[in-house]
This record gives sequence, C-alpha cells and structure tokens, in this order.
Amino acid sequence: MGPRNIFVAAVAVIAIVTGTWLSFKVASPPPAPNVATVLPTGNELPEFSLLDHTGAAIGREVFKGYWSLVFFGFTHCPDICPLTLQVLSDARKQLQADGFEPLPRIVLVSVDPERDTPEKLAQYVGYFGEENLGITGDLEEIRRLTGELGIWFEKTQVEGDTYAVNHAAAVLVITPDMEFRALFGAPHQTDDYIHDLPIIMGRK
Amino acid sequence: MRLAPVLAMVLLLSACSSETAPLSVSDVAIARPKPGMQMTAGYFTLTNHTSKAIAITEVRSPQFGSVQMHESVIEDGIARMVDLDDFILNPKSTVKFRPGGKHLMLMQAGENLDDVTLNFHTGESIALSINVKVTD
Repeated sequence: MGPRNIFVAAVAVIAIVTGTWLSFKVASPPPAPNVATVLPTGNELPEFSLLDHTGAAIGREVFKGYWSLVFFGFTHCPDICPLTLQVLSDARKQLQADGFEPLPRIVLVSVDPERDTPEKLAQYVGYFGEENLGITGDLEEIRRLTGELGIWFEKTQVEGDTYAVNHAAAVLVITPDMEFRALFGAPHQTDDYIHDLPIIMGRK
Repeated sequence: MRLAPVLAMVLLLSACSSETAPLSVSDVAIARPKPGMQMTAGYFTLTNHTSKAIAITEVRSPQFGSVQMHESVIEDGIARMVDLDDFILNPKSTVKFRPGGKHLMLMQAGENLDDVTLNFHTGESIALSINVKVTD
C-alpha cells in the first residue's frame, strides 16, 4: 500500500468513526422517565394560606428554592399513606447514597385537617425524615390548592364515627421556582423515583 | 422502624403450624403505631386448608378497640379503602394481606402493644388465634 492509499484509508477510518459517533449522538434521544408524566412548563402554584407542621403560617413561597415531592394524604390512613411516604423516603435515601444533589424534599399536604393538627403532622412526617414538610390548615384553603392542582379528595364514612378520606394518590414534583413540573401515579415504586427524578430535575 | 424490614421479618407462629387446622396464617407483620397515632395496619398470609369456603366474619384483638378488614384500592388515580365485610376465603386457597392491598386496620390502640393477639372469627367462634410481636 502506497502513502497515498494509506492516507485515503486513514481518512476513511476517521470519517467512519466520526460519522458513527455523530449519528449515535444525534440518534440517541434524551433519557425519558419510566413512569413520571412531565408537564409542559409554566404550571405555577396558586397562592394559598396554610400552616406548616410547626404551626407557622405559610404560602406558596414555602416551595421556593426546593425540589419537592408532594403527596396528599392523612395521618389516620393506615396503608397507602405510610407506604407512599416510605417509598419517597427510601428513594431520597438512595439518591443521597448515590451522591445526588440537590435532594428533593418530601411534603405531605393533609386532606384531613380536622384531625391533622400541626402537632400530629409534625410527629408523623418527622417519623419518615426530619427534613420533611407537613402542610395543613383551613379545609377551604387546602381545597383551593388541591383544586388548582387537579387533586381530588373526599371524606367518607368507614364505620360508626370513624371516617377515612378517599384521595388522589399521585405524587407531584414541584420545582424550586414553585412550578408543578411532573407527576407520578400510583402505585409508587422506589426505583421509579431513583430513575426518573434526576431526569425530571435535568441532571441526567 | 421502617416498613421494608418489618415486612422482611417473617414471624413464625406456633399456633398455626398444625397441618390439620382448617386455617393457617403466616408472615404476620404489625408495626407499632407511628408517633402520636393510635392506629396501624396488619399484614399476613391466610390459607384455607379445607375443601369448603370459609367466611372470616371479623378479626378482633384485645389490644385494639376496633379492627377492620380493609382493602386499599387505587382506581383512576384515587386511593380508596373498601371494607371487606365477611371476607370469603375460597377452598384450598391462600390470600395475602399486604401493603397497598388487603390489610387489617387496627384502631384505638391500647397501652401495651409489645405482643398483639389476633382472633379470626367465623361467626360466633374463633377459628384461629395468633400472637405476634409488634415490630418497631
């Protein structure tokens, strides 16, 4: 093989390698969430006036600066609520162990403010992690917030004087800019959060 | 206490090891109520060894003021609790009560919860009585 042929061969190899690399780069789509539904941007949280688990008055600014995973439930819920909060808590711990930053904050908005006083919520959300946030307060204000977010709930009689609350089981992802960005539908799985959250948060 | 280890903790029950018993229960998990709460959930695997259906009319516990059999159902994104009145266990069948599905709703917890007794009733009689250690 003469020098000219070697040159042609080298150019051909470089072209093939570069072409393959480029086509790979162009063809491979950005990573997509497994289960989460990502909404178009611009779903700003409505204003509201509620209480956090310490009893302090809060508005939507409480979401500013944090990625939040927001679940709507109640402390007298024996099965789905603790199960969901445990999934979120496990996912957060795993992300932390993987060195992921910033870690999302877990938020429980009570759909049973009648029984969920700030004290009760503090004990409850604190059990799943001391950095968690509980939100309760006036029922009408909670309805204002949930209504805007498409979260449905309704009190229901279980037996005698005990009652339960049927509620939307979705977990919403709120951005540090106070925007409703994505939602996870039930049933919730820890691995889905570990996979999808970094994508939603634009870090994968 | 975390849910996963609790579930992983298989509690063997001496009361139901007899092969001749019509009903047996295994993998019982009851977590201590969360701080400030007087309620928790109970999970287990229930087997009917007979060739006839068995109706569990109720479950009672001396340690809880009220015990109900429930099922969590998620339909159209809404979580609901459905009462399982007269829960029917088909002949030669096994049913799992597990997180996110069928469960015991244990309410009005008493003071001493280290050991919990669950009595499974079929009509007037107790078909099965088990003791279980609550997990933290």
